[in-house]
Amino acid sequence: MIQTTTSIRLAPKRETQAESRLTELLRSELPRRSARSRRDPDAADGDPEAIVAEGLGKSYPNGTEAVRGISLRVGTGEVYGVLGPNGAGKSTTIGMLGTLVRPTSGRATVAGFDVVAAPKDVRRNIGFAMQEAGLDELATGRELLVLQGRLHGISRREATRRADLLLELVDLESAANERIGGYSGGMKRRVDLASALIHLPPILFLDEPTEGLDPRARTAIWETLERLNAALDVTVLLTTHYMAEAERLCSRIGIIDRGVIVVEGTPADLKAAVGGRHATLEDVYLQFTGRGFAEEESFPAEVIANGREAA
Amino acid sequence: MKSTSPTWLLTKRTLVQFPRNPMVLGFSVPPVLIMFLVFGALFSSVRHLPGFPTDNYYEYLAPAAVLMTTVPGIANSAVALATDFQNRYLYKLLTTPASLGSIVLGRLLADGARLFIQGGAALLLAIALGAQIATGFAGALLMLLIGTLFAIVTFGVLTANIALKTKDPATVQAVFPMAFLLIFLSTAYQTTDQIESGVLRAIVAANPTEYVLRAMRDLMLTGYDWQAIGVAFLVILGLGLLGLPLTIRNYRSVYR
Repeated sequence: MIQTTTSIRLAPKRETQAESRLTELLRSELPRRSARSRRDPDAADGDPEAIVAEGLGKSYPNGTEAVRGISLRVGTGEVYGVLGPNGAGKSTTIGMLGTLVRPTSGRATVAGFDVVAAPKDVRRNIGFAMQEAGLDELATGRELLVLQGRLHGISRREATRRADLLLELVDLESAANERIGGYSGGMKRRVDLASALIHLPPILFLDEPTEGLDPRARTAIWETLERLNAALDVTVLLTTHYMAEAERLCSRIGIIDRGVIVVEGTPADLKAAVGGRHATLEDVYLQFTGRGFAEEESFPAEVIANGREAA
Repeated sequence: MKSTSPTWLLTKRTLVQFPRNPMVLGFSVPPVLIMFLVFGALFSSVRHLPGFPTDNYYEYLAPAAVLMTTVPGIANSAVALATDFQNRYLYKLLTTPASLGSIVLGRLLADGARLFIQGGAALLLAIALGAQIATGFAGALLMLLIGTLFAIVTFGVLTANIALKTKDPATVQAVFPMAFLLIFLSTAYQTTDQIESGVLRAIVAANPTEYVLRAMRDLMLTGYDWQAIGVAFLVILGLGLLGLPLTIRNYRSVYR
């Protein structure tokens, strides 16, 4: 196994007004967040991991084995990426950790709570932005965020305050009162992301956060995620099939193939393991799976270029 | 501070959004108006037959008009639920501490409130055509309550389960004609005495809609028949209890 580290790679940028107010808000929320994310009494003492999966698997009645025993540990504040092609088991894995898919084997805890035994406790501690933005198209951006906050038990006034801050953070303040049905794909992703953060969760799940977006929208989401991570310091588990996305956003990457994590480590360590500084994550994938990513899985060259420029 | 119930929050979400989809509100009136005009023209002479309970056929039709509004109308809940599945918003809601039960109930209650009002519009239409309600305003409210609750526990629960199972709005819509069967196979348009076929009479006697309709018709034509009202509520309760295990089973299928 590659040597791993939990350090955050994302360089904080100049803080916007919304970010500084969010940071302030988060600080005032910290005692509550700690209380809310109290650990399962059965969990190991002093366990620093925000997410732990041990042999987590999912089989369907028709015999399909979507996930064949995933084991991973994500430290508090870490940005962990599950990288793999379509159909590798990424969405099923994040779905099980996010309590939307019932595991058929193994065990997982999120914020110290078992995903099967205490799903409501898990949900209180997570924000989840889906692969296809799950949104109410008749609602306005602000209404969506406020409702999401209210469902997490936040007062109307506080939910509205946070909604305004988050909409500003994701550059949607001018569209806050417009119906989501009229938003572009990128705007939908951003409002979905903001709605996942309304209750200031200590853990954030992002399932293919830039899937289907054009290069400009992708770069905008990446920048938003970097700003969010710098402002909120949340633990992030994201799935992606874009090498550049994993490399840019994640402090550690687990490569998933046919329902199992075949290797994990920092992007630098992974690349070093297969041939040094000129190696790419694609080389890593090829080395550990014996196969390359399909042509359609490759990240468009112009996006990689845009991403690097923006970085 | 006690937090607001997720069911109420989700009911409110739907209520706020009704005016944004005016088709749902507006399209309940034309079918009822057509029913009054067409059935009124076709069958109004039955009021002259001995034993027919009223001289005004619109009075006889009015409870059926309420059910014609509420029973098919509640299926919009299931269509919306299936749409929430399809655009994945339902999964977004499921990542909050709100239970699936709250999500489904919130939608059903909001649609129940809408149908209560739309059923009221059907009654107003009957009044405009010369009908009178024997039990007055209070009786009208009770009639609307029975009609709405019956719609929720029958067609509402059935179509919500179809939505949970198939997650497909088109499949839910395909079940719509079943709502009319429930109403047509009853004494909605004529009394039992006028149904000649023994088989059809047996079907009418076995149709739960019939018992709800009888209570509503009594409220419209004669007065408070508490026994009939009691039977109607028992039918509603019984159907609700019958639908429960099916619903619980389909709830489980949501978490794949």
